Amino acid sequence: MTARRLALVVGATLALGSSAAFAATLNVGTWHLWAGSQTLTKSQCTVTGATDTYADEKTSVDNSGSLVLSEQPDSGKRQWIYIRFDLSSCNIPTTGGADSATLTLFESIAPKSSRTLTLAPVQGTWPANLPFATALALTYRASTASVATGTTSNVALPITVTADVDGFIKSPSTAFGWRISDGAAQSALDQAVFTSSEAPANKPTLVINYEK
Amino acid sequence: MKLLANILGLALAVAAVSAACGAAASLALGSKSLSAGSAAVTACGGLTSLSATRTVSNAGNVTQVNVGGIPAACSGETLSVTLVGAANANLGSGTATLGSCGTTCSATFAGFGTVAAASVVGYSFGLAGS
Repeated sequence: MTARRLALVVGATLALGSSAAFAATLNVGTWHLWAGSQTLTKSQCTVTGATDTYADEKTSVDNSGSLVLSEQPDSGKRQWIYIRFDLSSCNIPTTGGADSATLTLFESIAPKSSRTLTLAPVQGTWPANLPFATALALTYRASTASVATGTTSNVALPITVTADVDGFIKSPSTAFGWRISDGAAQSALDQAVFTSSEAPANKPTLVINYEK
Repeated sequence: MKLLANILGLALAVAAVSAACGAAASLALGSKSLSAGSAAVTACGGLTSLSATRTVSNAGNVTQVNVGGIPAACSGETLSVTLVGAANANLGSGTATLGSCGTTCSATFAGFGTVAAASVVGYSFGLAGS
């Protein structure tokens, strides 16, 4: 090894040693660090007092006091069901949310062939007396929920409406309920009839399992 | 050869002294006592708590987690969120760099896979940065 190489070794050693000394004097307090947690509370709420009616294209009469909610897709005689629940009794904060939500309708008269009914969230308020022309003028959000009617009368139909109810909880001002309709082609005996909130029994019920 | 030995010896001595300085640099000088300095690691912007909200699919699975109300001073820092299940199970997690903050910062996490909202009993957060 030459003296020149040795000089290089010495220089490098000095440089490394000095670097270590300088690093040891640096302030490490410039870093931020935080950890925390949030615990959720789970509960259940059942709401039975719905505002409901159905709009009838043929008659446009006030059906808000009717004991039934009728639905059919027939041309010129369409019937659409409207139903909304007041969730304020559940006292769920807007920071909460639905883990699951089930709307149960009692089908008193089933159609001859099973139909698929679609639940579209209504985007504005609607009057209890709902003429069909007014219903037509309403706007709706894309549906995330639907239910098959089956062909058996006098049965309860549970409908999963979790996503919509989660939205209603987070934004109560948009909780205008749903329109329940059948968009498919008409067929013989395709009407589905459900009991309404005015009926003495088997009223529409919304069960919400929620977190807050 | 003797010159070589001398130079090597000198180099080792210098290295030893430098290392000692490095180690001692974090120690307080005192005649009889020994202490080490420390620096507090703090949260950005005086952060003391965070909370999250989440959205669900109609099937009840978590689709998105939103964390808001984060102090603007935390902009650029890294936030991690874990969905906590029963017995502190990790049901899913996400990491995001806080950016584009206004009065406060917020972050949105998605892609948790199939995690039932009903299974989530809480969230844990970690926020780190410089």
